[in-house]
Amino acid sequence: MKRAIQVTVNGGVHELSVEPRETLLEILRGPVGLTGTKLGCDQQVCGSCTVLMNGLPVSSCSVLGVDAAGNEVLTIEGLATDGELHPIQKAFIEHGAFQCAYCTSGLILAVKALLDQLPAPEEGQIRHFLAGNICRCGCHLEILQAVRSLLQQSQQRKEA
Amino acid sequence: MGLRNFEYIEPSSVHEASRFIAGHPEEARIYAGGTSLLLLMKQGIVRPAYLVNIKKIPGLRYIENGNSTIRIGSLTTHHDLEVSPLIKRFVPAIAEVEPEVANIRVRSTGTVGGNLGFGEPLTDLPPILIALDARIKVADQNEDRVIPLEQLFAGYYETTLKPNELITEVQVDRMAPHFGLKYMRFSVGSDKPAVGCAIGVRLDPRTGTCVDARCVLGCVAPTPLRVREAEEVLKGKPFRADLAEQAARLASQACSPLSDLRGSEQYKRTIVGVLMRRAVGEAFRRAESQSAD
Amino acid sequence: MGKFSVIGQSVPRLESEEKVTGQLKFLDDLKLPGLLYGKILRSPHAHAKILHIDAGQATKLPGVVAVLTRDDVIGNQAYDSHYGPILKDQTIVALDKVRYVGDPVAAVAATSPYVAEEAMELIEVDYDELPAVLDSEEALAENAPLLHEKIQKPRQGFADLSDVGHVEGTNICNHFHLSKGDVEKGFRESDHIFEHVFTSPAAQHAALESFSAVASFDSSGRLTIWSTVQNPFVIRDQIAELFHRPLSKVRVIALHLGGGYGSKLYPKLEPLVAALAHKAKRPVGVTLTREEVFLTITKHAAKIYVKTGVSKNGRILARECRVDLDTGAYAEIGPRVSKKSGYTAAGPYEIPNVLIDSYLLYTNKVPAGAFRGFGVSQSNWAHESQMDIIARALKMDPLELRRKNLLDEGGEFVTGERVHSAAMMECLNKAAAAVRWGTRSEPASKSAARGKGLACLIKATITPSISSALVRLNEDGSATVYVGTTDMGQGSDTVMAQIASEELRIPLDQIGVVHSDTDLTPYDLTTSSSRSTFHMGRAVQMAARDVSVQLACMAARLFNVGPEEVVCENQGVRPGDNSAPSLSYNALLLKNFGIKGANLIGKGTVKTRSTLDNGEHVTSAFWFAGAAAAEVEVDRDTGQVRVVRYAIAADVGKALNPLFCEQQLRGGTITGIGLALMEQLVYQGGLLINPNFLDYNLPRFLDVPEEIIPILVERAHPEGPFGAKGLGETALIPAAPAIANAVEDAVGVRITELPITPERVLSALQQKQEEKVKKSTLSRVS
Repeated sequence: MKRAIQVTVNGGVHELSVEPRETLLEILRGPVGLTGTKLGCDQQVCGSCTVLMNGLPVSSCSVLGVDAAGNEVLTIEGLATDGELHPIQKAFIEHGAFQCAYCTSGLILAVKALLDQLPAPEEGQIRHFLAGNICRCGCHLEILQAVRSLLQQSQQRKEA
Repeated sequence: MGLRNFEYIEPSSVHEASRFIAGHPEEARIYAGGTSLLLLMKQGIVRPAYLVNIKKIPGLRYIENGNSTIRIGSLTTHHDLEVSPLIKRFVPAIAEVEPEVANIRVRSTGTVGGNLGFGEPLTDLPPILIALDARIKVADQNEDRVIPLEQLFAGYYETTLKPNELITEVQVDRMAPHFGLKYMRFSVGSDKPAVGCAIGVRLDPRTGTCVDARCVLGCVAPTPLRVREAEEVLKGKPFRADLAEQAARLASQACSPLSDLRGSEQYKRTIVGVLMRRAVGEAFRRAESQSAD
Repeated sequence: MGKFSVIGQSVPRLESEEKVTGQLKFLDDLKLPGLLYGKILRSPHAHAKILHIDAGQATKLPGVVAVLTRDDVIGNQAYDSHYGPILKDQTIVALDKVRYVGDPVAAVAATSPYVAEEAMELIEVDYDELPAVLDSEEALAENAPLLHEKIQKPRQGFADLSDVGHVEGTNICNHFHLSKGDVEKGFRESDHIFEHVFTSPAAQHAALESFSAVASFDSSGRLTIWSTVQNPFVIRDQIAELFHRPLSKVRVIALHLGGGYGSKLYPKLEPLVAALAHKAKRPVGVTLTREEVFLTITKHAAKIYVKTGVSKNGRILARECRVDLDTGAYAEIGPRVSKKSGYTAAGPYEIPNVLIDSYLLYTNKVPAGAFRGFGVSQSNWAHESQMDIIARALKMDPLELRRKNLLDEGGEFVTGERVHSAAMMECLNKAAAAVRWGTRSEPASKSAARGKGLACLIKATITPSISSALVRLNEDGSATVYVGTTDMGQGSDTVMAQIASEELRIPLDQIGVVHSDTDLTPYDLTTSSSRSTFHMGRAVQMAARDVSVQLACMAARLFNVGPEEVVCENQGVRPGDNSAPSLSYNALLLKNFGIKGANLIGKGTVKTRSTLDNGEHVTSAFWFAGAAAAEVEVDRDTGQVRVVRYAIAADVGKALNPLFCEQQLRGGTITGIGLALMEQLVYQGGLLINPNFLDYNLPRFLDVPEEIIPILVERAHPEGPFGAKGLGETALIPAAPAIANAVEDAVGVRITELPITPERVLSALQQKQEEKVKKSTLSRVS
């Protein structure tokens, strides 16, 4: 039986009627119409389907839509504002932090959560935080470079 | 693979949840984070007719400071534990391991109650909590009871709880002065541990003698495994490398790991010994440097 | 090199912004109107006769539009039953029997994926199990069960594979043989003989984007297929033959891919999806689950025997290699893999006497196909490991032993041809220097030890082959490049645009790229074999020059000078002597044609040959040359290996986009580390037991070294665009032996089986300890 739910996605409120078995990923890619979030492993291992729910990264492939009801979801499409790329997106381009980019939506959101949570992480903390996001093209070192540059930027902003 | 159809129940109280499950003991499953359950449902291994989402029950997500006990509501997420100042201050052993549990996404949604109640063997928290002598509060539609966490586990993915019983709270004492705990995990290329080992020791501050010890292994038996004979070896003496070695040997023998993709039985026994030896030394070191606040 | 504007620049990918905002569309992101969802029912048995299939209940389920079984395929006038790029041993769905756990047996098209899944569970299939062949040894055993009887070949095969084929009455799918000199004589003349067997397991590409295909017939019978495919023209060819259509009535389109690494080559879902769409009379799409991806294609498991004869001063005098490759249930592109694996099985060394046999064997397992490195990583694992064993036995520096035997510029390859434009020695020296070869650094803890290891590689690219490109100068002076090269992340669109931009003197942001649409883009054999920059890049360069020549001729008439005097610059032309102001392309076209809308089309085709006019054989249009140096730390207590530092040097000819080159080298290294340390497909009988990312471990941020040093060596190739050649596979190939050699340097044990798991290292350490104890006991007794 379908249930009525309300989810806020990238600031916009969506009133939807969903089956309980539909995952947040299916809902985002289907009725909400945002395909930037990708299905990867379907097991919460690879991180391709990462979105932020109430600010925290979750695997949208393994969150039921009915369970996401009432929550605020941020997808990759909600990161840039008014056509201006988010600093993380810029850093990913600048440091060559992707090749095929199938993992990129998830990784950018994971990096956002990382920077939100840990103001001055050490290398080991960064690697642990991102360990659950797989990049098969192997851009790990470029991604770490992008993260370090963002940390430097925020450090400089603080000092200024 | 898409999920099979099920009916979705969203009880608003523990009482309501328990009553519903009591009425459908075979067909209902508790959804308390869903990190492990949905996986089995996707594979078609578990096909519940009713999914009872207890996450919307109010009042079960808290970390509170009692007199000497920290009380953790069962819907507290791993992430809540990771960032809680109370946990960091009074149970730092938990705060220390949390950044390495599973991955950030599982930590955001996975709950303590779900983690324990699922009886999953490849997981980090149970051995640590048992080494801390944690208790759990269990409720059904009629009453509450408190049992040592150690008594929860019955086998692979099996607990001693009745279908209609829910874990509502985890109770763990503040880490005492002169108590040191070290948890070590071993894994290769995976979020999940292949072997886990938690050692807790309490020392007599005057003599450095071990007054009490907990040696708990994870992933290498159907349930988290307390190795009492190893604890006995450590008790009553100050740290000695040969005692750590002896405790490690006993732990290697006591466990019953399965040969699987993560390693053969023999290899896992060896790793148990290595982790134990290393963790005992570190636990003593921590206990020694741990003075009363 | 200051003369270039965008060549040699690390420009970001053209589609960068779409990629970081989630706007780039992968195939599964698109939905055709009226699309049905297809699901595949797969065999639960490794080898079984199909007795009976009943799809009646499934067909009746509301929402089900079509169910496809062998009953639809056998005797169908619209299409054939069999296909395959080299050997037609695959069928749209299983006909008489199933040959591996996961073999497609039936398919359902329904209005929702949920319905399709439900319907699958309603299809009843009765099997009669047959004895199964589970590894390459069993495949060769006498009286082994046969997987295939007689196999047909496609109407027109690949030029480089005319000599391959199934040995009838056996499970030998292909046998490649190569010899040079007289190995027996060489062994007799040797002071030392070394014989070893190395194994390398099956593995999975693990592209994060799954396989998807959508097929749609229009009312005239034209078939359009969208697919996650690296070589759309091969799919067009296969489907056209299968569905009895001229090539003009089949259109295959590939969008950007979410990784390929070889997995997305050759037909996968397309024949089945097209047959399903044919029956449903509506467009049908299938996207595989992760588990199904694991059941679709793998890297070949291999057992490699190497026997080497060496003089006492370290000259290799003879080498005999035998490579047994487990190709699973269907040939796929396996025969080419066995050939490529065979060619370089003796390594990048000048050896007077060589004997190579490479056997490709059918087993009842998931088919194996192309995997980044294409069979060479398996043989490289063997010979580069053995090089260090030899060096150790001769008490020589492994670097020195390699230098002494290395196949460098002008050296003679096993086939007798001379190798050129391959800076092998420079790569080796630079990789060794980058990890400070010969020094030892301190481990982080006292239970650990550090060591360093080297490995070199040589690989051939597919030869002969063809790539064609078009460049269209639009009426406003911008340009569009049409290439059949599929961009799967490597950045080919951008590199092709850079080449056109450079040649035409048009700013990069004014270049558009259309890729991989068989109706729009000219023929390209394949995006694989690290061939695109060399072949398609050159074709784009030629097409752009074709446009330049046309522009020069027009301008010459206007300026009243010779065409050779016309200079193209800043998106315009001027006479060479600077006597007149320059004229923009836009203005030139308008002036010349007198009407808006005129555009110029340039063509370029590159065709490489396997035989030169003088009869000389060419194995490879260019050679990959490279070398890796690894530094590892080994925990003696647990056996765990951590790669600390890693250098990879590759001769790229000319780095057209240094960032992309470095990404290829770092990325290939990281996959190589995964394959070296943790990745393997594990079977229990015929059942793959780790077909998912929970149980199949991939390298994570925690497994990546602190530092990977990419070294770009640029020895220009005369036929490459601006001297460039390919490097997509260079880094992956030597990773495993470099790491194994470093492990031995660190703790003195030799691992011959991949992956180098902690358990294998620890058990080797324990064995070594026991032997030491035994020896000391013996010496005390005597």
